[in-house]
Amino acid sequence: MNTVHQEPMLDGGLFALLLIVLEWTRPGLPSPLRPICDLRVLNHFIKEARDAESAMRSCREGCSLSESVTVPQTRVDFDIWEKKNALDQAQEVQSGLWLLHQALSSLRASVTNTALHSHLDNSIRNLLSINAVLRSLNIQEYTPPASVVAGDETWQVSSATDLLQVYVNFLRGKVRLLLLDAQACHQDVS
Amino acid sequence: MTYDHLRQLLVLSLLFCIQTASIVQGAQDLERKASMLLREEPENPKCFAEGRKDFTCFWEEDEETTGSVDQYSFTYTYQNENSSKCPLRALHTADGKRLYVCHLNRTQMFVQMDIQVHRQGLLIHNRSLLIELVFLLNPPANVTVSNNGEQGQLRVSWVPPPLKYMDDSMMYEVSYAPADSQTEQVEVVRASSELILRGLQPGTQYSVRVRVKLDGISYNGYWSAWSDPVLTNTLPADLDPLIVSLSLIISLILIVLSLTVLLSHRSFLIKKIWPAIPNPESKFQGLFTVYGGDFQEWLGQTNGGLWLTPVFFYPEESPSPLEVLSELSLSPSLPSPQEEEGGLDEEKRLGQVDSALMGQWRGMPHDQWLMDQLQTLHRQPAPCSQSSLLESQDAYVTLNANNHSGDEHLDDILEETAPLEVLFASMRNVSSESHSDMGSLQQSSGSGRLSSESSFEYPNHTWPPKGHGYTYMVVADSGVSMDYSPMSSSRVDDIGKVVIYANEYKNEIPAHRRPLLTSIKAMFKSGDFGCSSFLSCLIQMNPEY
Repeated sequence: MNTVHQEPMLDGGLFALLLIVLEWTRPGLPSPLRPICDLRVLNHFIKEARDAESAMRSCREGCSLSESVTVPQTRVDFDIWEKKNALDQAQEVQSGLWLLHQALSSLRASVTNTALHSHLDNSIRNLLSINAVLRSLNIQEYTPPASVVAGDETWQVSSATDLLQVYVNFLRGKVRLLLLDAQACHQDVS
Repeated sequence: MTYDHLRQLLVLSLLFCIQTASIVQGAQDLERKASMLLREEPENPKCFAEGRKDFTCFWEEDEETTGSVDQYSFTYTYQNENSSKCPLRALHTADGKRLYVCHLNRTQMFVQMDIQVHRQGLLIHNRSLLIELVFLLNPPANVTVSNNGEQGQLRVSWVPPPLKYMDDSMMYEVSYAPADSQTEQVEVVRASSELILRGLQPGTQYSVRVRVKLDGISYNGYWSAWSDPVLTNTLPADLDPLIVSLSLIISLILIVLSLTVLLSHRSFLIKKIWPAIPNPESKFQGLFTVYGGDFQEWLGQTNGGLWLTPVFFYPEESPSPLEVLSELSLSPSLPSPQEEEGGLDEEKRLGQVDSALMGQWRGMPHDQWLMDQLQTLHRQPAPCSQSSLLESQDAYVTLNANNHSGDEHLDDILEETAPLEVLFASMRNVSSESHSDMGSLQQSSGSGRLSSESSFEYPNHTWPPKGHGYTYMVVADSGVSMDYSPMSSSRVDDIGKVVIYANEYKNEIPAHRRPLLTSIKAMFKSGDFGCSSFLSCLIQMNPEY
């Protein structure tokens, strides 16, 4: 008889415990004003990328790419962009982020200026955070192809400043548009 | 057919009109923006984007130095792309300048654009820019300012420029100022299309306008033109409810305190403001209620009984009027003013005086008692006078109230014709002569309270004789109070020599039987004299007799 009475109690307790655990293990995101869709995080990343770019511009020595890297195209034609479906957009952004990650890592390795190291480290960290944000919006992750294919959406840069400029433009453009258009936080835009 | 043609023509013309209007409007907008950019942008050509796809570049040339539009070429190149040309058109401005304008309908953002302007093969302008960083928007539309019901507040709302993807990148500036003031305040708003202005003056008309700009993170640009100002009045000044309630509470507290103080000192205040008027009602029973204050009537009604009621005036003693009525017999020995008989006569006279002065109450048989007293007191062999005195049935004293001040000769008094008001204690069969022969004693009272005229009459009008000084006292009784004149001597020479004592009337004996003697005793009471009786006092006062 005692066990019969205690079972509901136990169930309730287990359920509560489960909720608590799930709450803990939820992907950590800064609490946004609008659920998930707050772009202030991205703005912060963009500002930091701009700082890195301006720092790179003022660098004279020890800030050059050892080799040319592949970077995504950053241009956005709104007519074309709007015609693309969400998946293509996501694919474009994810591949671009991956490419940038590779390029920045390469740059980080070749740059000897210690002042730039912090900027570059920051940028790389931000890229990973953006990946997390995209994941939270249920945007599929990018699986890099076995071999890098130079497509329409990529081009080669050999200058550090160009690389960082691309990085900034990419964040400001495509990444932002994708986040804005994410179905998870779909807004009625005019 | 013609009707259809006409209709088509009409439609076409309408469309043409609309387009012209829009073109004109667009031209006006362009001119306005161009003038603004010419002020703000140093680089050439000056370029701006109005939307997601529009892009306009222009530069200015003087009319004198410029050539035709064909001489110029506008070339733009996106990064990693081939260059393109932009068709130019020329605009004539008001101040004699020419604008060459390049307009693009499709643009690529987030990519660098290189622009080159050639004139006849020569590069005159070169610029690299990103299109998303040169936005110049139209000012916000539908700016509405309203009262939100609060004091000193206004709610401003507007419609943001219709740009997709850029709503949250917009930054607004709200400028507000009182309509008649030049100093304006600016509030910055980000990513919101309304604002509540606080801290405004109540009851004032405010002018509010808004402008927009992209925030500079993803997109950037120039500040738009100000929207048309909107005038609105703030709510009129209202009484601060806190102040009103506090002042009410304080006034209530003060009122309660003052009322408490007033009530606690009620009796004191009433005495001060409305002093109690003494009312002799209790002493005059019926005077005010029955006779309406008519004193004479009241006196008449009561028969003066109150006069004689001992308790009425002086509770401890019997009423005061000395109505000593004694009929002095016509004894020959009495009036002889001889020296050797002076003493006897004096005694007699004194006895007369004594008896005379002893008032006999009306209707009260005091005569016998009086005589007894006299006998014991006097012990003088003056049978004649005594007998005469004894025989006297009425002893009366009339107190003369003719105000003879100073020393007047007594013969004048004797012959005086002053009105006499005789108060008779009892009417006896006395010859009127003796009555009328009564001399009058000079009254030297300084009292002004004497209301009744009275005189002191001595029989045979020869007493007090001339040359004799007698100390006498005039008792003036007004019915309310008794006034005793200071004892004065009837003899002129004695004035100043004889010590005259004015005794204050004192009466401490409430006995009914003794009022007469008591009053007289009290009258002549003088410790210095050491006299125990009236006569002895008199004798002492006149040592020569």
